[in-house]
Formats: sequence, structure tokens, C-alpha cells
Amino acid sequence: MSDVLEALINVGVLASAIRIATPLLLAALGEMVTERAGILNLGIEGTITVSAFGSFVVADKADSLWLGVLSGVGAGILLSLLMAVLVSSIKVEQVVAGLALNLFGIGMAFYLFRAFYPQTGGEMPRSDTFDYAEIPLLSDIPAVGEVVFSQHWLTYAAILSCPVLWWTLNRTQFGLELRSVGNNPAACDMRGINVTGMQYLALAFGGLMAGLAGAFLSVFLSGLFFVDVAAGRGWIALAIVIFGNWRIGRILAGALFFGYLDAYQLSLQARGVEVPHQLLLALPFVLTIAALVVNRRRSHEPLHLGVPYFRGER
Amino acid sequence: MNTDVPTTPGASSGSLLRRTGWRLERRLEVKPWHEVVTLVGAFIVGLAICSILIAASDKSVVDSYRALFDGAFGSRRAVYETLVQATPLIFTGLAAAFAFRARVWNIGGEGQFFAGAMGAFFVSDLWHAHLPRGVMVPVLFIAAAAAGALWASIAGLLKARYDTNEIITTVMLNFIILLILSYLLGDLWRSPDTFYFQTVTLPESAHLPLMIDGSRLHWGFGIAVAVAVVVHVVLRRTALGYEVRGVGINRTAGSYKGISVPRVTVLVMAISGALAGLAGAAEFSGIHHRLQLDISNNFGFVGIIIALIGRLHPAGVVVSAIAFGALVNGAVTMQIQTGIPAALVDVIQGLSLIFVLTGAVAVRYRLQRTRSDE
Repeated sequence: MSDVLEALINVGVLASAIRIATPLLLAALGEMVTERAGILNLGIEGTITVSAFGSFVVADKADSLWLGVLSGVGAGILLSLLMAVLVSSIKVEQVVAGLALNLFGIGMAFYLFRAFYPQTGGEMPRSDTFDYAEIPLLSDIPAVGEVVFSQHWLTYAAILSCPVLWWTLNRTQFGLELRSVGNNPAACDMRGINVTGMQYLALAFGGLMAGLAGAFLSVFLSGLFFVDVAAGRGWIALAIVIFGNWRIGRILAGALFFGYLDAYQLSLQARGVEVPHQLLLALPFVLTIAALVVNRRRSHEPLHLGVPYFRGER
Repeated sequence: MNTDVPTTPGASSGSLLRRTGWRLERRLEVKPWHEVVTLVGAFIVGLAICSILIAASDKSVVDSYRALFDGAFGSRRAVYETLVQATPLIFTGLAAAFAFRARVWNIGGEGQFFAGAMGAFFVSDLWHAHLPRGVMVPVLFIAAAAAGALWASIAGLLKARYDTNEIITTVMLNFIILLILSYLLGDLWRSPDTFYFQTVTLPESAHLPLMIDGSRLHWGFGIAVAVAVVVHVVLRRTALGYEVRGVGINRTAGSYKGISVPRVTVLVMAISGALAGLAGAAEFSGIHHRLQLDISNNFGFVGIIIALIGRLHPAGVVVSAIAFGALVNGAVTMQIQTGIPAALVDVIQGLSLIFVLTGAVAVRYRLQRTRSDE
């Protein structure tokens, strides 16, 4: 019992909670922006997988972690632009296009992985990984230093991107236009805002963020690629956006909370404590459904989410 | 400026096109052969792109596709195995098609599949020693349908009562049921004699009989085809089918016609869940005879793709499920013979779907000479 309580505030658990939250936060922020422009992208899981592979293979073959991150992000953007062509230009049903993207992306990543690394039966190929970026002085603070200031640089970047993103969305003309596209594309079109262009941009940004999330999984955390590398994180990101009611502060809180639950159950398992850890893992999904019901009257869901916009049709 | 170029409502005309003297115009009527051409075209383009992938890895394209075909249809045995692969996909495809007809976006086929398998296992585990096979098997199928329907109804009720987005709730429910199953497999249902997360293997009284002795082809395939016929009849010939299609075409008009949209939503979700649940029963009692976490090869999600490629028509679902079953089955042979990773099949499936979707939109338009050119 004391183990169960001690793990709640264990420094190692808190630090790994932030680590686990990083890819969730990145992908969720990207998805939130995409949804704000009216596009529901269910293809994040596939995008993360493709990016994780892109990062892994380049980091390994070109022997450069930075090139790895870059190509992972590139792959994420590319896949999202494919989504943009499908849903914004051709106006295919968004749900279906997202699912197609998942199937195609995960299949493609795994096919290429096998093409580059034929199955040998030996140990899995492994790339280098980034070292933790300990911040001088701050990382020497007891407990807090280890939890907050001894993370990867991408974790700091993800957290710092929250205020930047908030400011861009809520305090700039561009952000206003982007949000308007998700709420009332017809009015935007009349005002001369390029609806399709905005949606391309939003999707590309979503791809960039999912790409970073993928890169984080392969060249920051493990140095490995496998077909289930995303392990549902794309879907959890989707859940976090809803859980956070499309608002950045709550999305950050949601990502940290979901990361914490995961870190907590992992540490309980590692200690051999007999708890139904699956039920802890199910909590985020249950809470997301609850949030949908509870928030329905003050939902920030974009009004035109998931509905293709045709000029001249209502 | 271009006052002499008339723009019809809904006609999207790219300026680039227009400069060359053509424009896109909406077709008034899409004929069935247009759709067939699109489907076949999409599949061919998908295969063509994959040929490039194969050629890039220095393998013979012809040999690879021949191995794929041989693996799928090359022998009697291969055909049976293809149908085995197609069986769960027919059920999940029908599940998706039925829901999508009413424009209810049930993305939870994967979870409902597991709910069904769990329902089937639960009653089989309870009664297999007491009931003869002839009773046990129908009972476990009914339990699976009920479990699938129940699980899907959560999303249906939330949608009807609170107008929650069913896409999101069904996706969340997929994860929840898998975690519940994982919990049960580690605890209550875990087989005492194994280290793995799996249940005991149930004896023959809970096995679905084989259609062809000496193969793996079980009666699940026969049931799947029969269910497809039933779904077709329900959609075409019953009041419920009329309501489902009515709600799908226009919600508002449907409610003026006296159709209760919330009631239809719940009903559609439940029936769709039941269909996906049957897939779970067929796989459990036809193939595995026990539960474990990897009994689904993405059947729920692939079912959605199959439904769309089958144009949401039961017959189309059966045909495209068999085609997908053939791909999955043939890919194994292809991998063994040529060393091409079986993951190529996912790429072919994904690409075909992307082109089918594109084609389905494209087919609504035609190229027309603009008047300014005459």
C-alpha cells in the first residue's frame, strides 16, 4: 500500500510523466490547430508512425540526429498535405480519409522498414538518441531540477510552444482568420480569406507537430522503430483535444495528466504491485467521453468541424 | 473579366483548367458503370504504385504479383484460406455499411468485434459442458451479437441523448474495451496453465463446424453471406430500412416525415454493433477457440474501408471483403516466395482506398469544353 502512495509523488515517476506527455502534447496541439480550421484529422496515428520511421532511418543511415528530426517532420508534413489534397481540395469525407491515411502510413512505414532492414532474427536495429538537455543551475535544484529541468530539448520546446501558439491563435489577425475558417468558412470566403489555403496550412502544422511527436518516440526515447511505435498515441492526442475542449491551457494539463497516469501505472507494474493497471490506462478514454457530455453546452468545438466546405452550396 | 464563361453552381473550375479551354461540370446522373470503372481504375492505380515500390527493391514485379495471385487463388486450398480471411471482414464491412447508410459514423467496429468475442467466450465458458454443439453455437452467436450491440449502444445513446460526436465516442470505446479485455485476460479469464494473456482453449462443443473438412473454412463464411442477404433485404424492403436510408439522406426531412431520428440512431448503432460482434463470434468459435489480445487483424478498421469500397452495398461489401481477404492471404505466399514484406498489402489497401475515394468524387464531374472556345 505504501508503494502505491509513494509512487504518486516519486521524483522518477513525475519526470517520466513529463517525458511521456511530450509526444501527446505535441500531437494534440497540432491536431487542435487542424481542427480549429475545421478539419478532423483521424490520421495522426499514421502520421506519427511515418515520422518515427523517417527520423529513425535517417538518423541511423545518415548518422545525424538533427537530420533525423528534420526528415521525420518532413514526412509528417508530406502525409498531412496528402490529407489536405484529399479533404480540402477533392473534399473526400474527412473521417474516411484519415483512416485511409492511417492504413497507408503505417503499412508504408513498416514496408520501408523491412526493405531497409530485412528480418534477420538478430537484435533490432538501433539508432542513436539525443541526450537529456539538463539546464545549467536550474537542474541542480533538488527534485524540481530532476523533474522539470532535466528533460529533452523537445520537451521544453513543446511546453514553450503553448504560449506562442496561444498568442498566435488568439491575438493575431492570422489566428482569428484560422479560427473563423473552422467556424464559418462561407463568411471567410466572402471576406476574401482563402479557406482551402488556410486548411492546407493548418494541416501542415498538424503534420509538423505529429512529425515531432514521431521523432520524439524514435530518436529521443528509444532509438527503435517497430510497427506499433505510436501505440495509440495518435488517438490519445485526439482524446486530449476534446478533453481540453480545444483550449491550449487545458490541453497542456490534459497531456500532463494522461502522461502522469501512464507513468504511475508503469511504476506500479515495475514495483510488482498487483493493481489493475489496465483500468488506470482506460481512465483517459472514459474521462474524454465524460468531458464530451459535460462540456456540450460550453464546448469550444469548431462549428464547422468535419464538414467539407463547398463554395456556393449550403 | 471572364463574363462569357458561365459558372454553374457547384462547378469547381480551376483557372488553370479554364485557360486550356476545359472546365469541370457536375454530372446530373452518375451511372453504375461510371462507378465500376472508378473502382477498377483505383485498384489498378494502387497496384501500379506498389509495382514501383517492388521494382525499387530490385524484385520482379511480375513474379511478385503472380505469387500474390497464386497465394490467393492458386489452388483449392488457397481459395478456402482466402474465404477464411474474408469472413470477419464481411461482418465488419456490413457493420460499417449499415451505420454509414444512416450517416451514423460508427468507427467502433474494432471494439464491437472484441465485445462480441468476449460475449461469445463468456457464454461458451459458462455452458459448453452442458449444452450440445447444435445449441451452444447459435447461443454463442446470439450472445456475441448482443454484446456488440450493447457496447455500440453506449455511443448510440450518448449521441441520441447528448448529441455527442459518435466518431469520438466509438474510438474511445475501442480503447476501453481492449483494456477491459486485457484486464480480464490477466486476471479472471487467464488460463491457469499458461504465462500468456489468453484464456483456456474451449472444447469442440463450442466450435463452429467446418464448411469443408480438412481446411480451415468454417461455417462463419456461410453465415456472413447469409447475413449480407438479410441486411440487403432489411435495407430495401422493410420500414426500418426506409427509415435508415431516409435519415441518411436528410435528417431534417426525415424528422418531418415522422421518423424519430434519435430512435433510429440508437437502433442503427446497436444493429451495426451486433454485426461487428458476429465477426468476433465467428473468429472465436471458428478459428481461435480461445480469447487473446491479437485475434483481430484490424478487422474493425478494415471493415470501414471495405464498406466504402463496396459502395455501402451488402453485395459490394461481400465482393470487396473477398478481394481484401485474397490480398492478405496472397501476401503471405508472396513474402515467402519473393521476400517482399507482407506489409505491402496494407500499402495497396490504403492506396486503393485513397484512389477509390478520389474517384468517387471525381466521377461526379465531367470535363466540358468551355463556351468561349467554340
